Amino acid sequence: MERAVPHAVPLGQVEVFQALQRLHMTIFSQSVSPCGKFLAAGNNYGQIAIFSLSAALSSEAKEESKKPVVTFQAHDGPVYCMASTDRHLLSAGDGEVKAWLWAEILKKGCKELWRRQPPYRTSLEVPEINALLLVPKENALILAGGDCQLHTMDLETGTFTRALRGHTDYVHCLALRERSPEVLSGGEDGAVRLWDLRSAKEVQTIEVYKHEECSRPHNGRWIGCLATDSDWMVCGGGPALTLWHLRSSTPTTVFPMRAPQKHVTFYQDLILSAGQGRCVNQWQLSGELKAQVPGSSPGLLSLSLNQQPAAPECKVLTAAGNSCRVDVFTNLGYRAFSLSF
Amino acid sequence: MSSESSKKRKPKVIRSDGAPSEGKRNRSDTEQEGKYYSEEAEVDLRDPGRDYELYKYTCQELQRLMAEIQDLKSRGGKDVAVEIEDRRIQSCVHFMTLKKLNRLAHIRLKKGRDQTHEAKQKVDAYHLQLQNLLYEVMHLQKEITKCLEFKSKHEEIDLVSLEEFYKEAPPDISKAEVTMGDPHQQTLARLDWELEQRKRLAEKYRECLSNKEKILKEIEVKKEYLSSLQPRLNSIMQASLPVQEYLFMPFDQAHKQYETARHLPPPLYVLFVQATAYGQACAHMKSSQPPRQDKMLSVAIEGSVDEAKALFKPPEDSQDDESDSDAEEEQTTKRRRPTLGVQLDDKRKEMLKRHPLSVMLDLKCKDDSVLHLTFYYLMNLNIMTVKAKVTTTTELITPISAGDLLSPDSVLSCLYPGDHGKKTPNPANQYQFDKVGILTLRDYVLDLGHPYLWVQKLGGLHFPKEQPQHTVIADHSLSASHMETTMKLLKTRVQSRLALHKQFASLEHGIVPVTSDCQYLFPAKVVSRLVKWVTIAHEDYMELHFTKDIVEAGLAEDTNLYYMALVERGTAKLQAAVVLNPGYSSIPPVFQLCLNWKGEKTSSNDDNIRAMESEVNVCYKELCGPRPSHQLLTNQLQRLCVLLDVYLETESHDDSVEGPKEFPQEKMCLRLFRGPSRMKPFKYNHPQGFFSHR
Repeated sequence: MERAVPHAVPLGQVEVFQALQRLHMTIFSQSVSPCGKFLAAGNNYGQIAIFSLSAALSSEAKEESKKPVVTFQAHDGPVYCMASTDRHLLSAGDGEVKAWLWAEILKKGCKELWRRQPPYRTSLEVPEINALLLVPKENALILAGGDCQLHTMDLETGTFTRALRGHTDYVHCLALRERSPEVLSGGEDGAVRLWDLRSAKEVQTIEVYKHEECSRPHNGRWIGCLATDSDWMVCGGGPALTLWHLRSSTPTTVFPMRAPQKHVTFYQDLILSAGQGRCVNQWQLSGELKAQVPGSSPGLLSLSLNQQPAAPECKVLTAAGNSCRVDVFTNLGYRAFSLSF
Repeated sequence: MSSESSKKRKPKVIRSDGAPSEGKRNRSDTEQEGKYYSEEAEVDLRDPGRDYELYKYTCQELQRLMAEIQDLKSRGGKDVAVEIEDRRIQSCVHFMTLKKLNRLAHIRLKKGRDQTHEAKQKVDAYHLQLQNLLYEVMHLQKEITKCLEFKSKHEEIDLVSLEEFYKEAPPDISKAEVTMGDPHQQTLARLDWELEQRKRLAEKYRECLSNKEKILKEIEVKKEYLSSLQPRLNSIMQASLPVQEYLFMPFDQAHKQYETARHLPPPLYVLFVQATAYGQACAHMKSSQPPRQDKMLSVAIEGSVDEAKALFKPPEDSQDDESDSDAEEEQTTKRRRPTLGVQLDDKRKEMLKRHPLSVMLDLKCKDDSVLHLTFYYLMNLNIMTVKAKVTTTTELITPISAGDLLSPDSVLSCLYPGDHGKKTPNPANQYQFDKVGILTLRDYVLDLGHPYLWVQKLGGLHFPKEQPQHTVIADHSLSASHMETTMKLLKTRVQSRLALHKQFASLEHGIVPVTSDCQYLFPAKVVSRLVKWVTIAHEDYMELHFTKDIVEAGLAEDTNLYYMALVERGTAKLQAAVVLNPGYSSIPPVFQLCLNWKGEKTSSNDDNIRAMESEVNVCYKELCGPRPSHQLLTNQLQRLCVLLDVYLETESHDDSVEGPKEFPQEKMCLRLFRGPSRMKPFKYNHPQGFFSHR
């Protein structure tokens, strides 16, 4: 399809270095702009690239429109996670969360609006931030990562209001229960914890690796991805991808996927998951594999469903991972093209 | 009746006589005409008006008489007859008068005609005269215009301006008082002055010519003197030779070399001059430092001067030779002529012929190794080629895998990006090749030397590029002259090749030769060991299953060198396919990994293998060590061993398997995993000696 064609021109020192950099690029995070027309992607070199989905999806799209509109150096380390409020793009990686104005990014003035660092207990190395979660009802942001805690931050004042402690290893992922102010977190310690935001207490703990149906000791016990929908929760990682009933804390469906999954999400009556391997997997709730759509990266780390009502024409699924390309799926069964750093 | 008429006539005559004024003239007429009666003369004397009155009267009288006769006759009577007779007589007289008048009228008519005729002739004569006069007038007018239009030649002469003329001309020529008012005189005077001046200039010209003649003669004399000087100087030079040798002053040698250089073809000559100049410039720069005996760059010319001279001989000799040899050949090759291949072979040889002279360039590096470059010029292809050889002071043990490193074929490959020297840089050559059936120059480079682009540039040959120039990021040295850049590149190339050569020797024996100044990059204890270092073919590399990414990124060109390394620790075997760019060490070697331990792990199925690759490939700048970073390859391999240690030791223990871990964790790590892709702590922190995440 659109594999990189071997260069006809001889490479000099700079070109070789750039080629190697691209070859070893990993895109950790994606976020769709509030207008739904742009996609931000952050890589392991700390760069954030903004792609124009509307230009790439338009009928007169050229090769250039699959290149970033703008690329800027956001962090020193990798950009592990990003989130978008209705005005801001939030990005985090090495211990800090930074905010950028979408309006200014699109005008190519890439100056950070603010940066905040959660109160870490002193450590030899600065813990990373692996997950950002917006709680719109309380106008708050939850950060989680290397220091095994969940930090809540008030977006109005920019202060860190509390820290939820409980995980014994670093936190991989967060998910918000929409009805009640409850947050789920999954971590390297193999536990999924349910937190009540009002009381800041841990309400429930599911130690996934202890359940024989889904435990896979050779892969480790870490929980890499998490998604929730009303009383249901799906999580995966070292243990197999499993659908849980939260109130009874019992696994209902174990999805037969050998490779560890790095991202999972509910979509209508389907579950989409991606991880090691080239494919985006679509599951029925019953555990049947509905489809496997191959992408261009050898491993995927993040999926992003653009469901912004403002831009219905840009309603696509994007997937990124261990390459410099972001695959764009125009409908769930077909990879249309790749955006490339 | 007759008497009546005569009576009547007489008075007429008398009457005519009686007119005194007319009579005189008439008399003379009559006298002239012999005194006979002439009615013609009478005519002149009579008045036509009166004749007309007479005529009217006569006619009336006749009418009356006739009427009376009529009357008488009608009355009838005797006496009537008399009366009639009488009247008849009277009317006869009247008839006579009428007759006379008639005659007179005739004469008058004739006379009138004569007069008219005469007058007409007169008019004609006058008319003719008038015509003549008009013609004359016209002619004269023409003459006048001709005169008016006349142009004198003097108008074309460029005269000096009026003021100048009055200022400079002597008064006897200018005559100001006369010429001032009279332009004609003025012009004449100016022309005189012009003539005078021209005469003077002509005189001067003649003088100059004679002067020139004289000077030429002088030059001739001096030349003769100088040519007589040459043999004397030669003899002095000859005499001074032993002295020069005694004093180690190679003036004469250099002179001889310059003499030989004159027979070099233009590209080699350019190279020779430039290289010599560069060598001297370097020597001068060096002289500020402590003086060194050995020159960094030495240039020499090799080959037979006589052959080169023969090339420039008038063509008839060579033609003779050719025809002779042709004739000979014709005899000898009658049998082999049918074999087309032999003919083509000869033609090919002719086409690839080298100029008999070549330029030797010896480039000395700091460690006393020498790069010998021999530059040739292919006359018929109009390109230059180079052969390279590296010699070192100490004997090198040649490791098997280092075979290609210093081979003349590859040591200079890709000195500039993409300059592999296997294709002719002259686009015109392809057509020449087609004629004699040469597919590509590639098959001949071993024999002829490599036609690198930089060689053409050193020789001042410039060929248009097939592809538009690929943009090269501006290097600070690029602004310097091409010679300097190339010489520096050549030196670094030789040094890096020698350094690699040394490293390979140890690598083949499983020793990673980390130098002491790079030791800080690695922990003291490294358990993984390099067990194999072999060279592999380009094709084999392309076929490896874990090198696809590199091939697709266009980093696996056939000008690169390919190696396979094997690093082992316990049951874990890490294969590393290495691409060594000829531009080492500015372009780093690229590693692709494949770990055989609990299944096969490559960058496509294990994020940490991918991270290890990027540690050696992308973060290579940390591993360069002290400049000029020739130790990069060794450091990368050592780093790879360290990375494998970290990878194996931090692998999470499978709880379900009984027994102790195969690789107990010995490295000090802050954390085992970090980030969404669960990276292992590959970064080594030097003084503290612990590992952390990048």
